Amino acid sequence: MTHLETELDKLKGDITGMFILVQKQLNKSIQSLLTMDKDLAREIIAAEKRVNAEELKIDRVCENIVALFNPVAVDLRFVFASFKINSHLERMGDNAKGIARYVLEMSEKFDADLIAKLQLQEMFSVANKMIDENIAAFENGDSSKARLVFEMDERVDAINFAANNIVADYIKANTDKAIHLLNLMSIIRKLERVGDLQANIAEEIIFYVDAEVLKHDKNFHNKI
Amino acid sequence: MTPKIETKNLQLYYGAHHALKGIDFSANANTVTALIGPSGCGKSTFLRCFNRMNDLIDGCEVEGQILIDGMNINDKYLNVDELRKKVGMVFQKPNPFPKSIFENVAYGLRINGINDKKTLEEKVEKALRQAALWEEVKDNLKKSAMSISGGQQQRLCIARALAVEPSLVLMDEPTSALDPISTSKVEELIYQLKEKYTILIVTHNMQQAARVSDRTAFFYIGEMIEYNDTTEIFTNPKIERTQNYITGRFG
Amino acid sequence: MNKRLSQKIFFTLFRLISLMIVIVLFSILGFIVFNGAKVISWNFLTQMPTDGMTKGGIYPAIVGTLILVLGSMIFAFPVGVAAAIYMNEYVKEVPAKRFMRLMTSNLAGVPSIVFGLFGMALFVNQLHFGDSIIAGSLTLGLLALPVVIRTTEEALKQVDDSFRLASIGLGATKLQTIGKVTLPIAFPNIITGLILSIGRVSGETAPILFTVAAYFLPKLPHSIFDQVMALPYHLYVIATSGTNITESRPIAYGTALVLISIVLICNITASVIRNVLGKRNK
Repeated sequence: MTHLETELDKLKGDITGMFILVQKQLNKSIQSLLTMDKDLAREIIAAEKRVNAEELKIDRVCENIVALFNPVAVDLRFVFASFKINSHLERMGDNAKGIARYVLEMSEKFDADLIAKLQLQEMFSVANKMIDENIAAFENGDSSKARLVFEMDERVDAINFAANNIVADYIKANTDKAIHLLNLMSIIRKLERVGDLQANIAEEIIFYVDAEVLKHDKNFHNKI
Repeated sequence: MTPKIETKNLQLYYGAHHALKGIDFSANANTVTALIGPSGCGKSTFLRCFNRMNDLIDGCEVEGQILIDGMNINDKYLNVDELRKKVGMVFQKPNPFPKSIFENVAYGLRINGINDKKTLEEKVEKALRQAALWEEVKDNLKKSAMSISGGQQQRLCIARALAVEPSLVLMDEPTSALDPISTSKVEELIYQLKEKYTILIVTHNMQQAARVSDRTAFFYIGEMIEYNDTTEIFTNPKIERTQNYITGRFG
Repeated sequence: MNKRLSQKIFFTLFRLISLMIVIVLFSILGFIVFNGAKVISWNFLTQMPTDGMTKGGIYPAIVGTLILVLGSMIFAFPVGVAAAIYMNEYVKEVPAKRFMRLMTSNLAGVPSIVFGLFGMALFVNQLHFGDSIIAGSLTLGLLALPVVIRTTEEALKQVDDSFRLASIGLGATKLQTIGKVTLPIAFPNIITGLILSIGRVSGETAPILFTVAAYFLPKLPHSIFDQVMALPYHLYVIATSGTNITESRPIAYGTALVLISIVLICNITASVIRNVLGKRNK
């Protein structure tokens, strides 16, 4: 393996590590939400510092590789993609922390019925699946896996959209819990953002592997 | 940890010309240090201090300490030939002797009085392997070194330097006469060699310095302007002159 | 006059001059070959001269010349090469180098008869060698010295410095570098110079005149203190002061042909060696 390949391999390992770290943060945040585990929520907030530190480190690695090795073609796309995936992952980490903050502020657990109706668990597991596909796609340079992510994002969006009416109905019935329910809506929005970020990451992976730019392409869903 | 090589207030004069002005430098073992700077900045002169090649130049005066493994080699009673056996050197232009490939690598060993055929064969093979040349020449060891390509010749010169098992290897623009493919082969080689050797390389090619070295020293008109980790020099140089040079804004 | 025309005129002029030189050379060669070839035979090359040098062969002169050439080279080659090595590899100061070079050139410019007189004064009389092979060889050697020094120095200068640096960089001493790298690389050119000086030495008459050459000596020498006959002197003798110049004229042409052949063979060998050995270094 050449010197540059060694460095790129290290970067790949760093990004994969970042994926896993952030995925853990997300899992914990949902768990803390469902069980109202405030200690777990605090743990997430503390670990966010690690996510931020990791982001800075990877930024530095990318900068060094560009400055020292002048990568070209697939290597250059890989470094650029990694740089942007890194920042998407960090924002996903922010969303996990955001959920944890709501959990900390909340005084009572959500109604299990409501959670079921909102398909919150489903939304979460789809988002998690998106992360899994992206990790696999990134690690193996397999863009076909990344292309699966967009459809899942639509599923997440649909759940988010449906949640509007459901929560609105609930607020009408329980006006005293309006704030509480609005918080729930915010949490759902954050989960929806996670889906969007994973879709962005999938775009970056496709850019890196296939040199194809999907960003801002209105018809790209038809192309897939 | 004692540094592998060190200079303390190194001053060098060519007659009236003050070529190196008080260089304080040190490099650890198993690192690659790149010396960069515009032509005539003293980087090659500095390199040649470590095997006293400047002695060959008339009117060259060196003051200050030059330490290798803690021992001062800037001492007129030092046995310079013995020093040069421990410090390998690779030159700008590939300069294999007009002898066979085998005899080129064996040259330094024979100088050291090693003439046993088996020992020679072992050491020659080892050196050629280290220089990543063995596979290409193993069936043609008797062929003239002049018949192989320029890139192979330069790796042969590296093998020749490595055969006597030096601990420090000096390279004076080793790829300036090579094509890009040969250049990248030599660069890869340098990266691998630092496992066993301490390497000092002078280069005009800034990207080469960036790719192969751990530390980079920037020289300008006889002074060492900035010396730091290569990543720092190439992403965040502390001194403006360094920045101007590496970004190609002067020199 | 336009430029083109003047260029044409000069070009034609130069061409004529060059042609003339070639014509002169070939006429001399042709004349000698034409007149000399008639007497050349195995017997001519291997027999003693007889009948007051009007008949018989020139065997002792051929042997004498070969011995003198060999003797002079045994002296001039090591001394000349050593001097050239010293001048080119050891002397660093430019003025000293320039002085030595000037002296060498001066030595080359000394007329050969002066070498002959010097040889007689030093070797024959002062050192009591008498008229002998050793006195003649040393005198011829002195004559050849500047040529050997000059060609060796040129040969050494042509060796790229990077080879010396590579060797020194590997810890070789200066002497090791000269012995193992510089001399082997310069060798073909040094040998070329040596052979060219053989050509020069074998044709000289004046230096051997007072130091070794015998007028007529129909036997081979036994030691280095004996006199010998030599081709150029023999030619001189039978052409100017022999017992019967007219009758020995064919022998004179034959001798000239043999002498010229030796010189030519030397020159051709020199260029062959340079090409063959030179190629090995490429």
